[in-house]
Amino acid sequence: MTAAKTIYLDYAATTPVDPRVAEVMIDCLRPDGAHGNPSSGHTFGTRARAMIEKARQQVAAAIGARPECIIWTSGATESDNLAILGVARFHADRGRHLITSRTEHKAVLDAFKQLEKEGFDVTWLKPGADGIVRPEQVREALRPDTQLVSLMHVNNETGVIQDVAAMGAICRERGVAFHVDAAQSAGKLPLNVEAMNIDLLSLTAHKAYGPKGIGVLYVRRRPPLGLRPLSYGGGQETGLRSGTLPTHQIVGMGLAFEVGEREREADVARITALRERLWRGLCAIGGVELNGHPTERVAGVLNVCFHNVEGESLRFGLRELAVSSGSACASGSDEASYVLRALGRSDQLAQSSIRFSLGRFTTEDDVDRAIAIVNREVARLRALAPHGT
Amino acid sequence: MEPEYSPTVVDHFERPRNGGHFEAGEGVIRGTAGSVAQGTMFVLSARIADDRLEAVRFEAYGCPHCIAAGSWLSERLVGLTREQLRAWRWRDADRALQFPLEKRGRLLILEDAVHALGEAWARLIP
Repeated sequence: MTAAKTIYLDYAATTPVDPRVAEVMIDCLRPDGAHGNPSSGHTFGTRARAMIEKARQQVAAAIGARPECIIWTSGATESDNLAILGVARFHADRGRHLITSRTEHKAVLDAFKQLEKEGFDVTWLKPGADGIVRPEQVREALRPDTQLVSLMHVNNETGVIQDVAAMGAICRERGVAFHVDAAQSAGKLPLNVEAMNIDLLSLTAHKAYGPKGIGVLYVRRRPPLGLRPLSYGGGQETGLRSGTLPTHQIVGMGLAFEVGEREREADVARITALRERLWRGLCAIGGVELNGHPTERVAGVLNVCFHNVEGESLRFGLRELAVSSGSACASGSDEASYVLRALGRSDQLAQSSIRFSLGRFTTEDDVDRAIAIVNREVARLRALAPHGT
Repeated sequence: MEPEYSPTVVDHFERPRNGGHFEAGEGVIRGTAGSVAQGTMFVLSARIADDRLEAVRFEAYGCPHCIAAGSWLSERLVGLTREQLRAWRWRDADRALQFPLEKRGRLLILEDAVHALGEAWARLIP
């Protein structure tokens, strides 16, 4: 199956780079662009530095933050690790209790598992069958020695939205640091770190029509949070993330976030209509169920389980569609999604679930063709299945 | 990351032969093995004429290798006697379809279905 014939419905895994973003990045890479080291004091360096600071302002504006709170990283995985390991290790002498949930991204889960090996005590909150972690669960789990709560804004597999503002208020009230992985919500939901009482926020460019390999960790500066860096070197980003800054990537992320925020409402309205069209088409096939909360979810994600169809055959049958089962970030795994298992789905239904994720460049024709392909394959596989299964 | 599939597997998955089942009746036998909960299930049904399998149908719930194996087998079993059915082993299907090592257990379920078919045949004979 060639990429040209494949319908791309995997925007939650990664988005194509918006052509406007690609253009400014390419401009940076030309000989007369911005090749100087942004830490250098000469003309080339100061030109690159100015572009980076503009991008810092663009990202800060998109999340209601002050620019000095923006730390450039390589992506959300590094941001998550820096936030979680950084806070826990810095404050280890004050307390060693941490809180997260079972349906976080692997970058969060594995950072907490590492901290368990280092002697920290982690409370793993269990979401309801709809994928929602209730703010009261956070309140009930807090202890006098709790140092950090980390919860994602939007789940990458189901698209379910958590009430992070309410959780943030609880953490602020108790003086506990609150980290949010917002990799899936930038450009899809309003984000305001001040209003939502968020102390640390992970962002990535490649899920918001920017380039891969660049992300941000927002770090609250007043009062200072206390964060131990993961790497040491040139002391860039106020010592929290050493390494020469990649100007073209940063410029790309800045513009991607500016465009994303400016066009968010129009994008969300259009993508919601497409997702509803897809859902109506899938429902007409019959024997399908939505995974996750029916309304508290982002516009672009539709995670559906198909009864009476084996998962691997379904995915192979649907290879004209670029879709996912589980997280694309957990590469090489053919196990049932741990997120859907945590929501109470059986192994069979979790394996027979497909995540369709739509985005800025999805068309009605893409959706209609996808419905026809799914209808054809599901009917074919069900006809071959033993009667009554 | 999906596994690689051989051209034979892709061919049988995309164009399965003899899918479905024969309704119960005179000279019709049926063999079942596995379960949906296990992730693999085969149902074989066949019509017998002159002490040989005259026609075979298959139903399968499983991965593309399993669906291909059911289809491939439905062609290979035609003409076999009861003794030949009893002697059938999973390695024939493995050679033809190149199952990955981690999936070979599913061929044992297929072998169980073939042997269940043979037992059903034995019950037909007074």
